[in-house]
Amino acid sequence: MPRILPLFTKALTDSWRSTLAWALGLTAACMLYLPLYPSIGGSAQMQDLINALPAEMTKALNYDQIASGPGYTQATMFGLIGFLLMSMASIGWGAAAVGGDEETGLLELTLAHSVTRVQVVLERSLAVLVRIAFLSVLVFLLVLGLNGPSQLGIDVGHLFGAVVLFAALALLSGTAALCAGALTGRKIYGIAAGAAVAVLGYVFNAVGRQSPDVEWLLSLSPYHWAYGNSPVTNGADWGTVAGLLGISAALIALGAVALQRRDVGV
Amino acid sequence: MTQAIVVEGLRKRFGHREVLHGLDFAVERGTVFGVIGPNGAGKTTTMRCLLDIIRPSAGSISVLGQDPRRAGTALRRRIGYLPGELHLEHRTTGRRMLEHFEAISGTVEPGYVNDLADRLNLDLDRQTRKLSKGNKQKLGLLQAFMHQPELLVLDEPTSGLDPLVQQVFHAMVREAVDSGTTVFLSSHVLSEVQQAADAVAILRDGEIVTVSTVEALRTAAVRQLRFTSTGTEAHDVGALLARVPGVGNVAVRELPADGHAAGAVEATATLSGHVQPLVQELARLSLTDLVLEEPDLEEAVLTLYTGGPENKPAADTGDAGSTGSTGASINAGSSPPRAEGAHRA
Repeated sequence: MPRILPLFTKALTDSWRSTLAWALGLTAACMLYLPLYPSIGGSAQMQDLINALPAEMTKALNYDQIASGPGYTQATMFGLIGFLLMSMASIGWGAAAVGGDEETGLLELTLAHSVTRVQVVLERSLAVLVRIAFLSVLVFLLVLGLNGPSQLGIDVGHLFGAVVLFAALALLSGTAALCAGALTGRKIYGIAAGAAVAVLGYVFNAVGRQSPDVEWLLSLSPYHWAYGNSPVTNGADWGTVAGLLGISAALIALGAVALQRRDVGV
Repeated sequence: MTQAIVVEGLRKRFGHREVLHGLDFAVERGTVFGVIGPNGAGKTTTMRCLLDIIRPSAGSISVLGQDPRRAGTALRRRIGYLPGELHLEHRTTGRRMLEHFEAISGTVEPGYVNDLADRLNLDLDRQTRKLSKGNKQKLGLLQAFMHQPELLVLDEPTSGLDPLVQQVFHAMVREAVDSGTTVFLSSHVLSEVQQAADAVAILRDGEIVTVSTVEALRTAAVRQLRFTSTGTEAHDVGALLARVPGVGNVAVRELPADGHAAGAVEATATLSGHVQPLVQELARLSLTDLVLEEPDLEEAVLTLYTGGPENKPAADTGDAGSTGSTGASINAGSSPPRAEGAHRA
């Protein structure tokens, strides 16, 4: 009995536990960080403390902007803890989707049935995308819910744009992981590739902001592409959104072509 | 189209290492074709090529009349495959797993999965991670059989199954073949294949040593012969045995004359090839005892595995069902086995 998108639905139903776990993690992060804004970002004492820190450090942590509600949300939630959790979730799913599945020997049996390899990559990529979208919507709703009580003063339109960038940035490291997994058939290479995109992106941003001499690093940082203009404060640049999604689409296509052309399970 | 599988000149290289050196064989529709060979001989690689899981370096493959590389999903719908190393998901039940495979496979008759599960005595609602190796193998067989495919490709299907379940499996194979299914299966032991297969290919180090029927293997295989005769001298018995084609390892001794009439002789020998010439010669003797054992096919095949390069003449002539050339190759192979080191895994 043919079902619609059988691999997609299976990938989603198989991962409900991990999706739930990441959702709980992100919820906890929002609930812990954002309500602290009035006593941290908004307090003069805290501002004095941050001023006392080395400027390099505050720049690296994006703490130079936490005096405003949107800046605080940008720096702590989207820029740090949320970014970390989402990247980990996305990389894990991406690396497991093809490379991990092949490594455990399961992919061989799936491919022996009436599915194409392109279909495997596309349906599982779609499943990663949907899970990331789900977590992003959750974050959007949480921040929106805390906006008033935590005196964040975030514009809803800007928040929406920031969440889209947040999702697109996580998707990029996830698709990098999926692509490397499809190229090599090894989960670890997928994780390495995804982590490289996320970590190097973060590091290049942190270092690139330090001085004009290393500013060129910023242009190599997906993290900076997404967050360079503080989208929670200023709204998203939709060209950047399109660019990030375009690279992800290209990585998925590359993974599909690579898997299509090579031996599986050897 | 009378042939379900036609493989010509199949080669496969992994990097610089070639693991299949030009296989040629064909499998008739509605028959059971067994491939036997030691681990690492290339059985699994061959099967994966049929399923388009790995791609040949050279040669051509036709499965149910189509090239698996190009035929796409419609062809695989008509095939049931059991991998040699079966890996199952951990966090699921047999039933949920089969439902998924049903969604990406051919149509499954309602109730058929339950029927098969009952026959195999398998509980589909247990968590797969709690299943024993044999029960996992049953699940693997189930997903291969459940859509009643035209071709079954089964890599070591009886591995891990207890003898009773093996009987059920052989019955399932027979029923499938009766309804027109072609079965391509592999094993590293002949006894598993000989029950089921019409034709057998012996694979060693990526080459087909011989393709034969089980019957022809049986004819050619070595039998142990032992008899006692009276009224003959030992050297006469030896001379008589030497005249029979295929007789070797002759040992003749005079028995002590306690209670026997004069000149009781006991002889042991091995016989490969046909029985008739031996029987004719033995008819001249006055036998008091005769044992001609069931041929040890295992032994015959092991000899083929371990033979050196000069010991595989049939590799060039090995087309399916050519029993004529096979007899010769088995004879060639029944010369004393080489050292075990000659065959690599």
